[in-house]
Amino acid sequence: MFAYWRQGFTVLVLVLAGSVWAPASRAGTEAAPIDTATIEKNRKANEACFACHSAAGIKNPPKADLDLANKLKDSRLEPALFNPADHGVMDCRQCHAGNHYDPYPHAEVGKNETAPCTECHAAKVMRLEPQFNASVHAKNEGLKEKFTCNTCHNAHENIVALRLKDPHKIVAQDNHGCLECHNSDLTFAKFAPDGEKTPGVKRKRPDIDTIHDWLPNTKLHWNAVRCVECHTPEVAAKKMLSHEILDKEKAEKKCVTCHSANSTLKVRLYRHMAKDEQQRLGFTNSVILSNSYVIGATRHPVLDGIVIGLVILTLAGMLAHGAIRIVAALRRKGNKEQAK
Amino acid sequence: MSERIYLLPLWIRVWHWTNVLLIITLVVTGISLHFADPKLPLVEFSLAARIHDIAGFSLVAVYGLFVIANIVSGNWWQYVPKPPGVLERCKVQGKWYLWGIFKGEPHPYRVSEEQNFNALQAISYWVIMYMIMPVMLLSGLIFQFPQLAPDRLFGFDGLLPVAIVHYLTGAAIVLFMIAHIYLGTTGKTATSMFGTMITGWHEH
Ligand code: HEC
Ligand code: HEC
Ligand code: HEC
Ligand code: HEC
Ligand code: HEC
Ligand code: HEC
Ligand code: HEC
Ligand code: HEM
Repeated sequence: MFAYWRQGFTVLVLVLAGSVWAPASRAGTEAAPIDTATIEKNRKANEACFACHSAAGIKNPPKADLDLANKLKDSRLEPALFNPADHGVMDCRQCHAGNHYDPYPHAEVGKNETAPCTECHAAKVMRLEPQFNASVHAKNEGLKEKFTCNTCHNAHENIVALRLKDPHKIVAQDNHGCLECHNSDLTFAKFAPDGEKTPGVKRKRPDIDTIHDWLPNTKLHWNAVRCVECHTPEVAAKKMLSHEILDKEKAEKKCVTCHSANSTLKVRLYRHMAKDEQQRLGFTNSVILSNSYVIGATRHPVLDGIVIGLVILTLAGMLAHGAIRIVAALRRKGNKEQAK
Repeated sequence: MSERIYLLPLWIRVWHWTNVLLIITLVVTGISLHFADPKLPLVEFSLAARIHDIAGFSLVAVYGLFVIANIVSGNWWQYVPKPPGVLERCKVQGKWYLWGIFKGEPHPYRVSEEQNFNALQAISYWVIMYMIMPVMLLSGLIFQFPQLAPDRLFGFDGLLPVAIVHYLTGAAIVLFMIAHIYLGTTGKTATSMFGTMITGWHEH
């Protein structure tokens, strides 16, 4: 009897658990959300790595004569940056071939065993790989092999736009990904292919502000919109931004794409906030207005109506006044002639 | 038979027509910026922005010269409606515009070197030139250097109030301009006042 109940209870638990876990596992190849207990466990495990891989660790190494200041001088790893990031819930060893990194010195083989993005994001990679392959960087013969997902995506720091929310932060993060190369001769040279006419000599980096000198207030734009706003083809609302980076022929040059009531910014930078649109104080595109006043896009239909109405009224008033004057003058002239 | 007085010195006339050109340019390009839309036949956005910027700075310079010249020449006194009886004269003038003009009555006040504007003109010019214009120019300058505007204000971008002030003062100037041009036809003949602004000579 008791055994029967126990069996029944187990089945019940399994069924309940099944219904809870099914949606998560149905995501299949996609990275599943991680529960709080696991996050706690991962954070604890990562402390072992941060003992060296952090500013504090470099200053106070767990062992003497590790020479961390020199060996880790280019590292930006930091719990404060890693933990809030997209991958901050994970154990470092999920990407960095586990056992190779527990001891130090790390095993040489570990270097080649960083988990590729596909391992956990197969569906997304499949969707965006054709776009990625059509982009200027993948089509450039001398650049192709060096250009991967983590060239733009910092696996330790990036926060997806949806969670980042604040458009200024999204712009700063995403533009940093491009400007890291396009605004730095040092990094650019590491990736730049040889010039067509000058084999053996790296192509020079064109100055980013000079290229875009047709865009007034260039610096202001860099802080308010992303490179990908103009350098990717438009996609349907709610769809993920395209990964096809467009060359100078295809990039967006028309100002009214953003500077008009039907601004593309709604489906790009402000895509995640579109549902928050409440026409605050009656403004069109008021989600944008919380961060940027965009001439042509963030206007007030009622105010515009009043202004246009007043202009029409004034014009009509003047025309009517003029018409009465003419009629009155003609009348007077007629009267005078009669009087003669 | 007709009596002429030399009313407007050259500098006022040159200033006036420069002002007209710049303001019309600013209005046309300003409208193109504010109502930017691929479907409307307006000045192309980047061209409009460039022209508006140049004309804007020019207007600031021209306005600065206008203020200085007004102080130096004493012309500013013309803009001051002189008591006593300002209200009374405004009423008389208003009545003429609304009634007397249709009956062919003569202008209620005679233009003289000492008193170029009637009371209504003096007040409206004073409001436009010394109240609206400085606000318009200042908001334009802040628009030009957006870093001067507050970063955020009540949950909106700090440039919003600047833009609204700029837009509304611009609208006020447009309204003034329509009335101003029309009232320019109320001289002795429909064109005589425009003639005065070109030659400087006023015919009674
Ligand atoms: C005792 C200090 C120390 C600890 C603890 C430590 N590392 Fe390292 N790690 C280093 C140093 C120093 C380097 C620089 C390269 C080198 O000298 O091997 C490095 C390099 C790396 C690299 C770069 C690739 C490579 O192999 O050169 C990765 C990835 C890495 N560590 C991951 C980890 C992970 C994951 C942990 C935690 C499980 C960890 N490390 C713990 C000191 C440490
Ligand atoms: C989502 C996967 C992922 C996670 C989780 C992850 N990393 Fe990395 N890490 C990478 C990738 C990708 C690279 C770049 C490898 C390359 O360039 O070949 C990298 C590079 C590194 C490097 C060498 C370059 C540098 O930035 O200094 C170190 C050290 C490192 N990781 C340590 C860590 C530590 C410590 C953790 C945990 C706190 C961690 N990683 C968590 C993916 C990850
Ligand atoms: C070992 C598995 C693993 C690897 C490898 C990995 N990720 Fe992730 N990634 C995750 C997990 C798990 C999450 C979701 C965390 C959460 O739900 O909070 C995630 C989230 C993300 C997100 C946030 C948006 C989204 O789609 O959920 C991005 C962007 C992302 N990863 C990009 C990358 C890139 C680019 C790489 C390759 C450099 C990579 N990941 C490699 C496991 C991985
Ligand atoms: C040229 C730079 C660049 C490269 C290379 C790149 N990405 Fe991205 N990726 C971006 C930018 C910028 C965004 C932000 C778009 C947004 O969210 O609005 C992004 C967004 C993403 C997102 C999150 C989209 C979302 O809203 O959920 C994922 C996932 C992603 N990329 C995966 C990848 C993978 C996988 C690769 C390699 C095949 C890759 N990316 C290569 C620049 C790049
Ligand atoms: C790792 C360095 C690096 C990153 C990151 C990077 N680029 Fe590039 N990009 C290059 C190099 C190198 C070239 C090739 C230059 C050449 O061939 O002259 C290039 C070419 C381009 C071109 C093509 C220029 C042409 O010939 O029309 C565009 C557009 C471009 N990048 C935009 C971007 C954008 C937008 C981002 C961010 C989403 C980005 N890049 C991120 C290195 C980078
Ligand atoms: C307002 C839209 C817009 C934005 C924002 C923008 N670009 Fe461009 N970009 C263009 C256009 C249009 C061209 C082609 C210019 C031309 O025809 O000379 C271009 C050209 C380029 C080129 C090619 C230069 C060449 O001659 O080969 C690169 C590289 C580039 N942009 C990178 C970037 C980066 C990096 C960012 C972000 C910091 C960015 N762009 C932001 C529109 C934009
Ligand atoms: C990708 C969208 C986008 C495109 C394309 C674009 N802009 Fe902008 N522009 C913006 C945003 C967003 C701002 C608001 C910046 C802020 O103040 O935060 C802005 C601000 C401006 C300003 C500054 C107004 C001020 O003084 O504050 C001017 C002028 C301007 N844009 C002109 C242009 C011109 C001219 C073009 C075409 C050559 C153009 N923009 C193309 C998005 C865009
Ligand atoms: C009669 C005069 C003027 C009119 C009617 C006018 C009108 C306008 C309008 C309607 C806009 C669009 C703003 C929006 O959509 O909110 C605008 C923008 C702007 N105005 Fe003016 N304006 C005038 C004078 C000036 C002056 C004197 C300056 C500068 C000193 C100036 C500087 C600007 C600037 C910088 C912008 C932003 C766009 C750009 O950079 O070109 N304006 N103006």
